[in-house]
Amino acid sequence: MAMTEEGRCRELEARVLSYHDVSFEKVLSEIAYLRDTGDSVIAGGSLAYSLGNRLSDLDLVITGPSTAHSSLVPLEHFIGSLRVDVWKLEQKLVEETFERAEDALAGEGLVLGSFGDVDREDELKLLHRIIYGITIDGPHLQLASTRNHRVVATNLVVREYGERMRSSALLAQLAIQADRPLAAVFNARLAVEAALNASVVERGLPFTGDKWLRERLAGQAADLATLHDPFRELPIDPDTAGADFVEEAIATCRRLWGLALQIEDVSRFARWSNPDLSMHEVGDECMLISAKHGVLIGVDLLEAEAWRGLSSDSGKTEPSVWGVDECGGSAATLSYQLYERGLLDLEWERGVPISELHSRKEAARDRH
Amino acid sequence: MIGIETDARRYVWCRSNALWVIGMPALTFLQDVHGAQEAGQEGLLRYAARGIGDACAVALHVAVNQARPIPPAPLRTAWALEGIGGHALWEACWQLVRGIEAVPAGQIPARCEALISEVQAIVGKMPNILTPEGHYPAIALARDWAKALDAVGEPAPLPSNWALPS
Repeated sequence: MAMTEEGRCRELEARVLSYHDVSFEKVLSEIAYLRDTGDSVIAGGSLAYSLGNRLSDLDLVITGPSTAHSSLVPLEHFIGSLRVDVWKLEQKLVEETFERAEDALAGEGLVLGSFGDVDREDELKLLHRIIYGITIDGPHLQLASTRNHRVVATNLVVREYGERMRSSALLAQLAIQADRPLAAVFNARLAVEAALNASVVERGLPFTGDKWLRERLAGQAADLATLHDPFRELPIDPDTAGADFVEEAIATCRRLWGLALQIEDVSRFARWSNPDLSMHEVGDECMLISAKHGVLIGVDLLEAEAWRGLSSDSGKTEPSVWGVDECGGSAATLSYQLYERGLLDLEWERGVPISELHSRKEAARDRH
Repeated sequence: MIGIETDARRYVWCRSNALWVIGMPALTFLQDVHGAQEAGQEGLLRYAARGIGDACAVALHVAVNQARPIPPAPLRTAWALEGIGGHALWEACWQLVRGIEAVPAGQIPARCEALISEVQAIVGKMPNILTPEGHYPAIALARDWAKALDAVGEPAPLPSNWALPS
């Protein structure tokens, strides 16, 4: 039987007490200066989700109808050895984030990174803290809208990670083509882990970020753990084993989500864009210059020709945007290598709609 | 007097990014390593060790080779490992990034600490904002770097609304 919120609250406080000898009364006293009448204090994060450990921080959200100001960054507090991170947010910001998430899920545009980047998934985590968190003081937060907030929070993470999976799968295959096996195996592992993270959250578990994946697999999704096993380590020699490792990763993602992730399936949605690189010819030398980054790249005749080819295709002096599937051979390798150096951007024409993820997953489930 | 024999803009950008954007997560991951070891959370332990290998490789490449710009996250590690090929710490970074499943969990924290210590000896002391002792000094240091970046016409790698006086 699922534990009540009161039971979860008692369990969380017992953990915090055992780790730090700090009661919730003391925590609430420390953060009292941030409170407004009628607001709620919600504990989320790994400790609240029965993960975490003695060195984990206690993540709190303070919000409510009377919350008048929002913090720009999490406000860090230290109570003895306990670190308490507090997001103070006007309730309308919470509601707006759900609304924005629902709108994003309804459209075909890219979601990837728009609710927090790869390193900081702040908004993804916020939505899950509101839904799966434990109210440790104040009334249970009443959200105004009648939308199914749990479904929105879950689907947003599933879609974000579905799109990460697609992006990593493409990069892994492009890296193999460009003879960059290390980048290829690294992205192959990322693709599988994104697929697994999406699967775990789809099962109704709160999102806790990438770092808890293996604990989740071990404790709450053991049937998926075996799919991760071959990818826990990268090959000792990516030069010889890289292509097979990538192929196996693509197959594992497909098994989990049913999406066709071969390069020809996904590259048509992706394009390179050039923020500021320009070609300069000095005597018989050719170089690409990024004034923004203060970077100069020497290119050989073949590469210079490839760059000019991209420019002439676009009808501009320098190429601005070109499809990943529109260039082959040396132009494809050059594009990838410039992206690898942070000098080109990779854009996606469309995201992976949640309906597509669900329907492909259903089909994959039937196949297996 | 010591003249830094390189372009000021590049030097300040690379040092500050190596320490703040890339280096800082290494100490966060180290805390995860210690917490995970104590709690017997081997999955978290190994994930955090990967993160340390990744952060150390990139910080080294940016600081030692003054490499810029820093590529997007999915390509950063391979870029950095290629860039520090031949460096004495390459192997230690690669082992952690690759995943060291055969190494007993109990040995991993020492490996992580050793690598961070050696990288800090080269790159500089990475800030640790996760402790009461490090919180305010680290923020003060960030503000100093932000001013230096401003002086050479580079944007600060931190939100200016709290790193710079308004």
